[in-house]
Parts: sequence; C-alpha cells; structure tokens
Amino acid sequence: MAAESEGAAPAAPVPRISMRGIVKRFGSVEALRGVDLDLHAGECLGLVGDNAAGKSTLTKILAGAYVPDGGEIRVNGNPVSFRNPADARAHHIEMVYQDLSLCDTVDVAGNLFLGREPMRGPFLDRRAMRDGARAMLDRLEIKIPKLDHLVAQLSGGQRQAIAICRAAAFDPQVLIMDEPTSALAVAEVEAVLALINRVKASGVSVVLITHRLQDLFRVCDRIAVLYEGTKVAERRTAETDLQDLVSLIVGEKHVARGGRA
Amino acid sequence: MTAYTSRPEGSRLADVLATHAQLLSIAGFFLIMVVIFSTLSPVFLTPGNLLNVLRQAAPILIVAVAMTFVITTGGIDLSVGSSVALVNALAAILIQAGVPWQLVVPVLLAIGAGIGAVQGWFIAFQGIQPFIVTLAGLSALRGIALLMTEGFSVPIPTGIGFVQIGRGWFAGVPAPAWIAVAAAVAGFVALSSMRFGRYVTAIGANQEAARRAGIPTRAVLLRVYVLTGLASAVAGIVIAARLGSGSSNAAVGFELDVIAGVVLGGTSLMGGRGSMLGTILGALTIAVIGNGLILAHVSPFFTQIVTGSIILLAVWLNARVFSRLAAGRRRRT
Repeated sequence: MAAESEGAAPAAPVPRISMRGIVKRFGSVEALRGVDLDLHAGECLGLVGDNAAGKSTLTKILAGAYVPDGGEIRVNGNPVSFRNPADARAHHIEMVYQDLSLCDTVDVAGNLFLGREPMRGPFLDRRAMRDGARAMLDRLEIKIPKLDHLVAQLSGGQRQAIAICRAAAFDPQVLIMDEPTSALAVAEVEAVLALINRVKASGVSVVLITHRLQDLFRVCDRIAVLYEGTKVAERRTAETDLQDLVSLIVGEKHVARGGRA
Repeated sequence: MTAYTSRPEGSRLADVLATHAQLLSIAGFFLIMVVIFSTLSPVFLTPGNLLNVLRQAAPILIVAVAMTFVITTGGIDLSVGSSVALVNALAAILIQAGVPWQLVVPVLLAIGAGIGAVQGWFIAFQGIQPFIVTLAGLSALRGIALLMTEGFSVPIPTGIGFVQIGRGWFAGVPAPAWIAVAAAVAGFVALSSMRFGRYVTAIGANQEAARRAGIPTRAVLLRVYVLTGLASAVAGIVIAARLGSGSSNAAVGFELDVIAGVVLGGTSLMGGRGSMLGTILGALTIAVIGNGLILAHVSPFFTQIVTGSIILLAVWLNARVFSRLAAGRRRRT
C-alpha cells in the first residue's frame, strides 16, 4: 500500500519546482534559514517538523502568500518571483491553507469560485457557479446539502472539505496542503488521501504538511524534515519508517550526531 | 441497532427568515414609523409630503448607498459630511466666478472622486485605519471649505439650469429623488450581482483569504472610498442646487445620519455583511422620522434626541429580538 505509486516518481530532469536558499525573517526571528527543496511532476512530498519549524512559511512562500527575503524559486527551470498569491495561481500553484482562508459570509458556491467567478456579461453567473460547485463537490464525494448556505453555517469538517475542493478543482500543477485533514472524519480523511493519489497519478505535484505521520506513508514519495527553519533530512518514503521520522523531527539524531551516533 | 438516516433539511421558509431577519425587521420598523406618523398628522401620507420626504432623503440615500460598500469591507468613512460641504461651497464659488455650470458639475464630481482616492490610498496601500484617515478628512475638508468661504454663505443665481438639479421635477417626481433611485438601483445590482460587490463582501469577511484567492484587495478597497467621495460630490451638488447657495456649514452631522441609515439596514460594522435594500429602508426611516416629527409639531430640539433613541431601539430589536426569533424558528423545524 505504501509504495504503490513509486512508479509515478520523477523521470523529468528539470524539477517542476526548485527552491534554493529560501530565507524568510519575521522581525528578528529567522523563520527559514536557507532551505532547498525540489518538487517533481507527479510526486507527493511530505513536509514534517515540529511546530515553528517553518513548514507553513515555506509553503506560503511557494503559494505567493509571503514574499521571501532571499533565495530563488524556479518553475520548470524558469526563475519566478511571486509578489502575491495571484502570481502563484497564474503558475497553477494552489494551496489549502491551515486556516482554510474561507469567507464566512459568502455562500459555499461563492467560496469555491472566489477570485475566478464565472460571469455572464457584467453579472455573476450564479447558475454556472452552483452547477460547477455541485460537480466539484461530487467529484470529492463531499456531502453539502445546500450550496447557498453561508460557510459560517457549516461544520469544521465541511469547511475543510470546501477549502480542499477549491484548491484541487482548478487543474493545479502544484497542490500544497497545510494540515488538510485535521478536522476531518475517518471517511473524509480516506477521501482526501485517495484524492492525493489520484491527482498525483494525473501528474500533479503535491506538498503535504501533516502531523498524522501514518498518512505520509500512504501517499508520499519523499519526506522532508524541517527543524528550526532548516531542512535537516530528506528521505524516500520506502527507505524510512515512523520511528526514524519521529527522531528526525524531534532532533535527537540531529542534535546527538556528534556524540552518541 | 439503528437505521442510518440523513439529517432532515430545514425548511426553506425558515432559512429565508433567518437570512433576511435584519431586512424584515427594518422593513417592519419603517412601516411602524409610517403608521405612527400618519395617525399623528393627516398631512404625512399625502403624495406631496411623501415626495418631499424623498427629496429631503435623497442626499443621505445617495451617500448611504456608497457607504454600504465601505462598511461591508469593514471600513468606515467619516469624511462624507465634510466632503459634501466642500463640494457644496465649491459649487457656489465656481458658479459665482462665472464658470459654466455644465463644466462645474463634472469638475466637482472629479474632485469628490479625487478626495476619495487620496483617502483610499492611505487606507488600502498604506494600511492606515479607515477611522483615522477619514477622521482627518472630516476635519481638514470642512476646514478647506471654511477657508474658501470665510464662513459666509455664497449665493447661486437661480436663473440657471444648475438649480434644476435640486428643484426640478421630472414625470411628477423631484430630480434629486430620481438621482437617489438611480444610485440605489446601481448600488443594489453592484453589491448583489456583480464581481465588485462579491469582492467587497469577501474582503469584509476575510481580507487575507480574499487576497489569497487572487483578488486585488487593495484596488477594491481604494475604489470603495472613491465611491463615497463621488457620492458625496453628487450629494453636495444636489444640496447646493436645492438651497441655491453654497456654505461650509452644509451637512453638519451628515456622516452620522448616513452611517446610522446603513447600520439600521442591517449592514454589519464588522464587515462581510451588507444589505442595499436595508440601507435604502434605513435611510428612508431616518428621513421619515425627521419629517414626521416636524409634522407632529414636536420641538425641533427634540428631533435629535428622538432620532438617537429610535436608532438604538431599532438596532436593539434587530439584534436581540428578530434574530433570535429567526434562530428559534430554524431550530424548531
């Protein structure tokens, strides 16, 4: 089960995404201290690390939500600089944010189409939005009875499902998911993992941040470990196990490298 | 042990009531005011007086439509009254200086939009609180008007077409009322059915989420303040034309009437929730109260006290009674 998609692993010489020496500071805090990361077509990269390791910051930089203070990002070998999320979206990079980034007072269909509303002349095409939203939700097997409900009226799991649906629906090349399953029930987690395997198979690159380490082994091809703003390890999923990951995350091996090991 | 059943869906009616609780409450409140004043004064419900109310309400209504966009983004524009005064004074000064009024009107509209753009730039692109920026505008803009008029009222010659903007009648309805209706219809369509309105609501609900969705949040924010600037200019022109004079003392406290009308209509000061129909009813309610108290021979000194109390009562009813009723109905079904 774990390595069933090994075959889809990188073949292209040029990685789809290549991040080099990414630095980000928040005031005096150096959130990222020069991180390199490659992402190939059709692979899923797991990103793990303790709280404040820099996982979210790194992915937000890739999604254009933060502008890095240093370093370089290449998409298919071409250097890019994202000034805002719209730039990253134009390169088909979509992200599910940890805070979901939904607008509570906008309805379900409106949230799914936020920023790319279908128009009929100068007006919003509500019918197209409703039909499109229904189709998007059905594809992910998400049950939401009324599309004209405001997002504020939905449960945590439904909200998370909508955020995932929105990112996955518009043909992304890179799909970043920051803790996408934290509020989901068992069946919904399965649906998200199945989604990841499905989009991977269609050539999408996925970055998955999660604290559910067992999930990583079911969908990821590689796992990168961040620690205090640096990348301390990168493992092929087949060559690591839960115990190994845990010690990498908490930094035992890293700290004790000179001494015990 | 148990059969798996889906949760029953709530009734359509309950949802409609819950969604529109605020609008229904201000509509009810408006009707109550109309009934009370029509019993207090036989003149109140005559067509002549109702058209008069519309004409009186027009400037507030025009600016309240624009203010609804600003408040829906979670902002506020305190400078509208001062903008009205500045445009009002400038209109009289320019016309007295011999500039043809057909030129004066577009120039004033441009000035209004420009005032809004400057304030909007500070708010959207420099990240300064709307309250602070427009509070500065409130002080400075009226100051400019005072400086130019030296506090005197500047007369406008009544022979020219300009005064028709405020005093003319078309198809049996005063010109200012037509302008207000046009503004209200445009505002309603833009807020509920156009991309601009959707972005305004999204920004008010969650500005960072809107930005992450690729919405040009700063450009949209700038534009809502251009709208209030432009609407203030229209209101300033209408008032100057109706009164036949321009004065730096025009529209004192105007911003409070406008904001009260918008809030009465159920638009949330927290942003994300705006109702144009509510704003129209809210602004009309304030106009009806003002007009009705005069017709009922209540001392003009009472008007402000009564208006204030009624606003508090209406918002309280709105928040505590009608919303709870709607929520209760939803639970019962």
